[in-house]
This record gives sequence, structure tokens and C-alpha cells, in this order.
Amino acid sequence: MKTHAVITQWSAYSPYGAGREAFAAGLAARRTAVAPVEDGWDTGAERAALVPGFDLRNVLGRKGTRSMNRVSGLAVATVSLLQEEIAAGQDSGLVLGTTTGSAETNMVAMGGALRSGRPYLIDPAAAPYLVMNGPAGQCAIWHDFKGPNATIAAGRPSGLAALGYARRLLLTGRAAMVIAGAAEEYSRARSWMEIRAAEDGSASPPPGEGCAMFAITAGPSASRPAVADVLALDFRMCVDGDWWAAVDQSVRRALLTAERAPGDVWATCASGAPGQAGKAETAVLEQTAGGAVALPDLTGLVGEMDASASAFQLAAVLSEAASSAEAAGWVAVITSTDPPSGVLATCVLGFAAR
Amino acid sequence: MSTHDTRVVVSGIGVITSIGTGIEEFTAGLRTGRSGVSPLTAFDTTGFDYANACEVRDFKPGAWIRRMRPAHLSRAGQFAVAAARMAVEDATLGEDYLAGRRGHISIGTTAGGTREIDTLTEAGLAAEAGPRAWDPTVVRSIPAVSLSAAIATELGLSDVEVATLATACSAGNYAIGSGLDAIRLGEADYALCGGAESVCRTTFTIFYRLGTIAPDCCRPFDSGRQGILTGEGAAVLLLERLESALDRGARIYAEVLGYGLNCDASHPVAPDQDSLARCMRLALDDAGVDPADVGLISAHGTGTKANDVTECRAINDVFAGRPPRTVSLKSMIGHAMGAASSISAAACALAITNGFIPPTINHRETDPDCAIDCVPNHSVPADLRVVQSNGWAFGGNNAVALFGRYEEHGE
Repeated sequence: MKTHAVITQWSAYSPYGAGREAFAAGLAARRTAVAPVEDGWDTGAERAALVPGFDLRNVLGRKGTRSMNRVSGLAVATVSLLQEEIAAGQDSGLVLGTTTGSAETNMVAMGGALRSGRPYLIDPAAAPYLVMNGPAGQCAIWHDFKGPNATIAAGRPSGLAALGYARRLLLTGRAAMVIAGAAEEYSRARSWMEIRAAEDGSASPPPGEGCAMFAITAGPSASRPAVADVLALDFRMCVDGDWWAAVDQSVRRALLTAERAPGDVWATCASGAPGQAGKAETAVLEQTAGGAVALPDLTGLVGEMDASASAFQLAAVLSEAASSAEAAGWVAVITSTDPPSGVLATCVLGFAAR
Repeated sequence: MSTHDTRVVVSGIGVITSIGTGIEEFTAGLRTGRSGVSPLTAFDTTGFDYANACEVRDFKPGAWIRRMRPAHLSRAGQFAVAAARMAVEDATLGEDYLAGRRGHISIGTTAGGTREIDTLTEAGLAAEAGPRAWDPTVVRSIPAVSLSAAIATELGLSDVEVATLATACSAGNYAIGSGLDAIRLGEADYALCGGAESVCRTTFTIFYRLGTIAPDCCRPFDSGRQGILTGEGAAVLLLERLESALDRGARIYAEVLGYGLNCDASHPVAPDQDSLARCMRLALDDAGVDPADVGLISAHGTGTKANDVTECRAINDVFAGRPPRTVSLKSMIGHAMGAASSISAAACALAITNGFIPPTINHRETDPDCAIDCVPNHSVPADLRVVQSNGWAFGGNNAVALFGRYEEHGE
């Protein structure tokens, strides 16, 4: 088998709570975590899927967290959960998907200075979090990861883009182990931005938040058993509005790269994107692998996760595979689309025969 | 390593800076040591004791952006798309040529749509309606992905992998490295990669508050240096395999020899000497270059107390006390943040092609703690074979890239 990337373990802070098991249990029950937003958020959305009880200073302690923003807290906490199991070394890389860092941090810091009447009086402690790579930098500091550290933005496929970036770090020998995934926070700024962006009438599901992180190494690996092989990752752009053709081409090429046939597909997971893009994903996957298990639309369960949407699709497929005897020896196909930017991606995961 | 058998070259450059747009103007600016400083106009600077910046004053997005509506893009997105169009035209490539091949687009940025987030912040404060006053067009321009995706949309490229690398002030080098690896692995035929940034209130204010904005101009490596000036612009390079460039008779500016990435994992905003040295060594190893062969370093050289001394010490560690001439473009174009190392890459390629070393301007007296020759104030002719470009960032995200002169009968 050619050298490729393998996922050896993963963890998450999700709207189902802390850890892999909580996410798997929520998903297995097909329970929706979307609930009325509690008072105090001052957001425009009435319903959202928040990580329950996530107070980063309770989770991470008071040291080093005084000015830490929520998205960094989610990322650091998720990597902490993963590190308890894998203990990745100092030379490890870390790759995090994002939409735009934290608009909330920017607005609170800048708005505070402007309201004070002294526009230069921005909180200096906010500095590390005013840049989009703040969360990835914090993960490195907390866990002493001195390998390549990257923050990548590819819309809803950002989690798959992080996986793809990690894969190339491994294949070029720039790292032997990479922690990769994506994080998104719920906030007043994000909630209102989604409401205003949808002002043209496009409906969007309630927002969700969370972080899912995956330990990736070059495979086949003797020392660390794989939970899944990353057999193919395909990225494309839809530039003419024909989402069906774009998704169809992406899925075909991903299966070709994976050297698998549609008949080898055990499960599919579409991203639940709004509009034509989402419909195209469902239709192409149904047409390609109609007999396969179709995982539920995660946006209905954990909300619209934006940057971390495709990371949670990966988590869902891995959860489902772990609890199903039928996955072994088969593959799963994950698609993700980002209608506003035109970005789309397909991932083929393989599960070793038992 | 087998992937290194693939040689990758720069065959197109698009560049937008405060000292010139397009390679002719930019090269002339570098050669004559032009200063891009002017009073900041991006926002109302009332309340600040001083506010100079290196803004792009003459930018006409409509001259370059044809399919998309410039108003749908953030200012950084406009810079990215315009620079990409420029790079493709500079490489004398038709869109059909690119559309028939597998592509990679990666654009680095620090703040992405933060200028537009600032617009929302100010609009929300000004209006009773709060967030209900936010302009939906501005909101939609903010996600960082648009900096790279809009290039594909503008150029009509669908068989292309796009991503924005949001790794702050070294992001341009990350993007170039990302394109290099995609081509080396045979997963892309060409790459459009670089960085884009716009001057904005948040970036200016945080550097001002940290006491690192210079009142007048940026004086890297100078005893009297007082900090950075925020800058803006973009550079996008067209990378392709050497064979494809030769096949089509392309002008080759330089070869991308390699790059290195690492992370300080120590302080979120202060650089770490050993970590910077380690990153330079990673890049030299990846490029297969002996330090003695490096003829020029385009330094990160921000003009702050912390950066310049730490960077010069790290350079002296790696180059065993005999560093090559080390210049800072930030003296001319300010700190263009996520675009900085992409503009530096463009300058490195142009310096190699045109045989000169751009100066570090505004220089009066070199800080004894900066043990380098910064080529003060006037460019010098030089026969350059290998040039190194340093990029450091908040988050300890270090990235160093190496460029070489393309030699037909090279080693």
C-alpha cells in the first residue's frame, strides 16, 4: 500500500458534551442538541447548539486563560482530551480550520476602545486572539508542539482542508504526527453576522459550535493502530453554479484516487449545506452509492458548524464505523460544500478488514 | 527525498504595494529605495498621537477584477484577486491554459476581513439598531476563505484546490510552501500563491497599544528604531514545474528551493531566538543549501526592539557569525502582515533576476546588537544565486523560504 495519512485517534467538544463517547452517544440516538439560547448571550438567534456548560476557565483552569477567547478554549480543551490518549511528542504539528478566527474578540476589543472615547485603549491582552492563528498558537503553547503550526480557512470544508494540509506535512516529511481539525465558537458577533448575511432570504439552520481534532500519522503505521485510512481527499471549486456537476466530478475522482468502486462504499455523509449545493451532495451520493448507509444531516442535530462542519462529519463517520460491524473492509465518502465561496471537498476514508 | 526531484520555478509575479503596483514599478521602487509612508486614511485617526502607514493609494480594483464585483470582496480580497490576475498575465498564460490543468491556490493573511469587521463594529456603535445596521454585503465579504476562493471564481478555475492560510505575519511563506509541496507531490500542475492584507483599525490599534508603532517611519536594525508602520498590499506568484515552464518558453524569475516551518510554542507574541534559528535550518535543509551559499536574507525585520535583535542573533547563529547581507523591505513598504513574506518573495525573485540588493532605507546608525550589514539606504548591484526570506508571526508561527537563480546547467 502507498504511503498515506491515517487517523489514529480523535476527540471533540461538541454540543453533546466533552469527548468522543458523548458525541457518539448523541449521534447514535439521533438526538438534536439544538436548544433555546440562554439569556446573557445577547445574540440574534433564538436557538443554537452550544457545547453544554463550556466555561473555559472551569475546563482549563485559571492559569493562562484570563484573556483566552472561547474558540481558543474549545481548541485547547479538545487537544487536551486527545493528548490524554495519544501523548503526541514535542515535534508534532498542529493544523486548525477556521472561518475568520473570532469576530467576537475583534468586536469586543475594538468596540470597547471606541466606546471609551480613547480609541487607542484596546485591551493589550487581547493581542494574541485578534489574529486568526491565536487558537492554533495557544494549542502549541499548552501542549508544547514545536512542529509546523497552521491555521487554514476553506469555509465549511475547513476541517477536510486541515486534514489535507496535515497529510502533505506527513508525506513531505515535515512532521511525523499532526493533530488536525477545526474549531468554531458561538458568539454574539457570529450569530448576528449569519443573520445579516442571510438577509437576502436564504435560510440557514441554527448555529452550532465545537471543536473536533484528529491525530494523523503516515501509514501504514506499525506503532499506532489506525481507526481509518485517509484514502483520498479531493478539493474543487464550483464557479458556474452547477453544484451537481462539481460534486459529481469530485466524488468520482476521489473514488478513483482511493482505487475503490461505488460498490465498496459502506456509508456516505453529506454536509447539509443550504440550497442547491446541499441538494447536489445528497443527490450525487444517493446516485453513486444508493445502497450505502446515509448518515443524518448533522446540521439538524448539532447546528450549522461552519468551520468545524466537516470535522464533525469525520467524527460522525468514525463514530458510526466504531459501532458498526459492517464498516470493516469498506469505505465511507464524505462531501462538504461552502455555497458562498464555491469551495467543495470529498474525502474517502477506508476501514481495515477485521 | 523523491519529491525534491521535482524542480519548481516562479514564472509569474503580481504585486501591489505602497511603493508600486506591478513588477516594473515595484522593481523600480526597490532599486531606488522608495518610501511608501503617508498619513493613514483607512479610518478616522482622531485620538492617536501619530498615525502614519504604508497604504496603497492608487489601487483601482476594476482594472484587474473583471468577472467579480469588487464591492463583494473585502479590500484584502480585492488585493488578492488583482495580484493573481496580474501574475497570470505576467506569466503570459491564458485562462484556458490554467483551466485545463490541476491547480492550487493558497493565500496567506493575518487579518483577512478584519477591516470589514471594523466597519461593522463602527456601524453597530453608531446606529441604534446595532447589528441590524450591518451591511449584508460587507458581512458576506468577511470569511477568510474568500481571499483564495475569489481568485478561482475570477479566473474561472474549477479544477483547483483553494485555501487561505491564516497564519498571521508569516502566512505568505506558508502559502508559497503549500504550493511548492502540492507541485512536488504531483498533486498540482501550477500554484497561485502569496498573501494579501489591508490596513485596518484593529491591527493599527493593537500595535499602537503595544507601543510598537513608529511615529514617523520604520527603521529596521537602527539604534533609533521605534517600531513598525502598518502596511498593505498583496503579492501572488505563479509556480509551476520547471519542465512545464521550459516547454512553454516561459520567463523564469527564480527557482523555489525549499522552505521550513516550525512553532515557538512559548510566547504568543515575542520571538524566540533558538526557534527562529531552527526554522532557518529546516528551510536550508529542505532546499539542500549550505548557509555559505546564501547571498542575501530578506529579513522579517519589523523595526521593533524585540524582533530585530532576536532575528539578527538567530541569523548569526545559523550563519556562524558570517551572515550574508540582510535587508528589511519593511523600511520601504511597512509591515504588510500576511502579505509581507509574499511581497518579500516577489522582491527576492526580482532581486535575483535583476541583479541587485534592495536597501534598508531610513537608516542612520546600525544597532550594535544587530550584527548584520543591512545595505543602508542605497541598493547595490549583486550577483545573487540563493536568497532567503524570513517570516515570523504571532502564535510563534515561523516560516522561511529559499529562492535560487535558475541555472540551465545548474547542479
